[in-house]
Amino acid sequence: MDTESLQKSIMLLEEKFKPNNISFTLDNGLICFDGNMQTWQDMVDFCHAVAKLPEVKHVVSHIKTPESVYKENIDTTPYIAIGEVENVDVLIVGGGVIGCGAARELSKYELNILVVEKSSDISEGTTKCNNGMIHSGYDTKPNSLKAIYGVKGNAMYTQWAEELGFHFNRTGSFVCGFNQDDMDIIQGLYENGIKNKVPGIEVISGERAREIEPNINDGVIGALWTPSAGYVEPYEVTLALAENAIENGAKIWLNTEVFDVLQENGKVTGVVTNKGIIKAKVIINSAGLYADEIAKMINDEFYTIHPRRGTLGILDKENKGKLHTFVGKAPSKYTKGGGPQETPEGTLLIGPSAKEVADKEDLGVDRDDLDFILDKAMELTKNISPDTLITFFSGNRAATFEEDFIIEPSKKVKGFIHVAGIQSPGLASAPAISEAVMNLTLAELGDGVKEKATYNPKHTFNKAFRDCTNEEREKLIAQNPAYGKIVCRCETVTEAEIVNAINGIVPATTMDAVKRRTRAGMGRCQSGFCGSKVLDLLSKELNIPPTEVTLKGKNSEILTEPTRNFKRGEM
Amino acid sequence: MREVELVVIGGGPAGLAAAVKAYELGIRDILIIERDIELGGILQQCIHDGFGLHRFGKQLSGSAYAQKFIDKVEEYNIPVYCNTMVLEITKDKKVVAVSPKEGLVQIQAKAIVLAMGCRERTRSQVRILGTRPAGVMTAGAVQRYINVEGWKTGTRAVILGSGDIGLIMARRMTLEGISVEGVYEVMPNLGGLRRNKAQCLDDYNIPLHLATTVVSVHGKQRVEGVTVAKVGTDRLPIEGTERYIPCDLLVLSVGLIPENELSRNAGVELHPITKGPIVDTTMMSSVDGIFVAGNVGAVFDLVDYVSLTGEIAAQGVASYLAGKRIASDVKEVIAGENVSFVFPQNFYIKDNKEKATLYMRVRKTMQKVRVEVSCNGEVIATKKERFATPPEMISIDVPINKIMDGELKISVLE
Repeated sequence: MDTESLQKSIMLLEEKFKPNNISFTLDNGLICFDGNMQTWQDMVDFCHAVAKLPEVKHVVSHIKTPESVYKENIDTTPYIAIGEVENVDVLIVGGGVIGCGAARELSKYELNILVVEKSSDISEGTTKCNNGMIHSGYDTKPNSLKAIYGVKGNAMYTQWAEELGFHFNRTGSFVCGFNQDDMDIIQGLYENGIKNKVPGIEVISGERAREIEPNINDGVIGALWTPSAGYVEPYEVTLALAENAIENGAKIWLNTEVFDVLQENGKVTGVVTNKGIIKAKVIINSAGLYADEIAKMINDEFYTIHPRRGTLGILDKENKGKLHTFVGKAPSKYTKGGGPQETPEGTLLIGPSAKEVADKEDLGVDRDDLDFILDKAMELTKNISPDTLITFFSGNRAATFEEDFIIEPSKKVKGFIHVAGIQSPGLASAPAISEAVMNLTLAELGDGVKEKATYNPKHTFNKAFRDCTNEEREKLIAQNPAYGKIVCRCETVTEAEIVNAINGIVPATTMDAVKRRTRAGMGRCQSGFCGSKVLDLLSKELNIPPTEVTLKGKNSEILTEPTRNFKRGEM
Repeated sequence: MREVELVVIGGGPAGLAAAVKAYELGIRDILIIERDIELGGILQQCIHDGFGLHRFGKQLSGSAYAQKFIDKVEEYNIPVYCNTMVLEITKDKKVVAVSPKEGLVQIQAKAIVLAMGCRERTRSQVRILGTRPAGVMTAGAVQRYINVEGWKTGTRAVILGSGDIGLIMARRMTLEGISVEGVYEVMPNLGGLRRNKAQCLDDYNIPLHLATTVVSVHGKQRVEGVTVAKVGTDRLPIEGTERYIPCDLLVLSVGLIPENELSRNAGVELHPITKGPIVDTTMMSSVDGIFVAGNVGAVFDLVDYVSLTGEIAAQGVASYLAGKRIASDVKEVIAGENVSFVFPQNFYIKDNKEKATLYMRVRKTMQKVRVEVSCNGEVIATKKERFATPPEMISIDVPINKIMDGELKISVLE
């Protein structure tokens, strides 16, 4: 490697970004920065630029900026003192779509599998704030892991949906052009898509686009059309994977956070968690936004996750049928540009935006984020009113500076598999990544792992009451009168469905978890009417006082204390 | 399929008044469908007084007001399905509902009164930015927790919106020991009734900040504070006026929206401003035999009006069922000078009553005004008011025999 030319390139970049002071180490294509810079955005731009240098394979940044957030160091002594609480073959860190997907694929084998998730529910991180798009793969860099896994994963969704019983609409997607500049970009995307082997990709006229999707704005003169793109509800996919994994013998521990990874003689032996020590032969790091921190625990930190926040908005179901596909715009620098789409549930989803943020837990929405997604949705469509917006929220993408997936065993420690930097098209890639992780894990475990004779790939969800025919509804209520009790009026969710969710295979123990499984509180009143009823059911089913029911885990309790002189049961 | 002459959807003040009046007009085959476990609707959580001054000449609590009608329903033995949710209404008046007790209920109605009320606007609809922690609630939800469930939902509250529910909850929370930092109102004027400001804010030294709004919410798991800012005439925050207020509860009283999802599916035409069905002075919607009562039609400030519209709807139903109703005999009422909307939007000119009532809201606060209804340029009804403010509805009776050809218009003049 030409270190001198690299030094020179970095000096040039330093002149451009003017860091306060900066130092770096270089080790076999891995460049690790320390020092200080003026702004977080500068740091990200700088590291992005470094990652593009031909000599550089990976970039780690310990550069501090005024926006940086610092975590307290956790003293693991009391947790180590708890001792060994579990011993498994495969420990998966993180219960997002990748962790649960890997668990499900691995449950085909005679293995003891445990997924640990630090939050109160699965899919609480990047997964839940994903727009649910199964990208066709036209815009990923040819031969990148994103390109390879994206196109492959997209094709695998048909089978996943069939086996796992989640909603999947292969709707197709548009990238719209308003002028010749846009069309030039679109032509470039088309050629890129051909390289990536995107099936059915074509450039079509504005008229043809409006034939397929009548509410595309009249100003659109042409579009890239990829019929293979589709939509899922990301938390539904993740729940299906988790439930199917559990049905096939895997376990999931919620509220379980990894503080340290243990190793002996260059091989992992387990992890220290808030629940105690969990022994494991293989550890899969699918910790999403925190993957770099887990990697650091085995001194194999060769990537940095810099959260890229995306804001999404949901429009009222009264817009149902106005759009059937994804309608995007010719892209900006680091995002596909987002746009409106109809979710499998029939609500319109708009966004996402893209903004670099320093705090992995920064899920705020700023005015410019909201303006961006609303303006874009209105620019691309017609007959859709911004007044029908019922909610908006942000999620963080787990991006590396190389902006590609990292799916490989650790080169430093045996038995550790990195699955990091999984951002768009991560959801589309999930089936292919899960399969790859399964193969990497089997390779780490060596010979002798047997297939499970009883493995059942089939998973079914109960049909939602709102989707049932009247005859089916009548039957359900006859079996269980709680099906006749509508708790959430906006989304027609019954008491029976909520009770089932709370007592489900992966139990819903928070208001948000109930919402993700049943849609109670997801509609236009945003839980104004049903909130107290769902809270009551959680309290009863979990056998906890109402004051301990939370919105989304610890410290998010809804109620504070009883009112004056209120004697329960004497209403 | 079971047949019922009149199905009333909703057992709140509008539905109860409609059912009671319909019975008194001789209709016997009535069914009230109520989604809650008891009749009364949202009045059951309104334990404050101030209800029924017009109708009963005294101030009642919401639940006491509702009880007067519930007693009548019981006296007349009008059938009620509580704990029953209507899932669908069709254009030809088929009603599908479910309940744990009755199972799936399918009814062919001859006439329907829609009385589903309204729901509260949410934080997203007023574009409050920031995070989504626990502790952001609509005023109605907080009211339910405190008055019905017996739980407090915070210790230090900021209220956005000076509508009546916001004002009432400022007092209610104060009485429960929740410290209320202040009430913020995006508009330059009060959102609720003046008497409520006097009784609920002034008496408790709770400040009202006009032309100020909550911009964003802070806190990851639980609300830790909010940022408020002054707004300009465009109602957008003015840079540099932001102020951080620590609190653990943000209460939203930012308006009500008629609940018309069932109506929309039944093909009932809705009005863009009221967000409720377009009706005539008999409260009949654009679908023959589907009538409208109370807040589902337009959001009223006083429950007395809500009950009245229920009774008007019942009269409409009676004449419709008697076959005395010709749908085409209606005339549009034009919202004239200073009028933001008029309800009903159409005048039924063949009504056998002497007069019909129009309800309206003004666009701006005015003093010493004259409400004027004119037909073909001729004034046919007039009324004086000392004050007129956008939150307070004005009603005016119009003699039906004075309606003639030409433009029918309602205006408010200073």
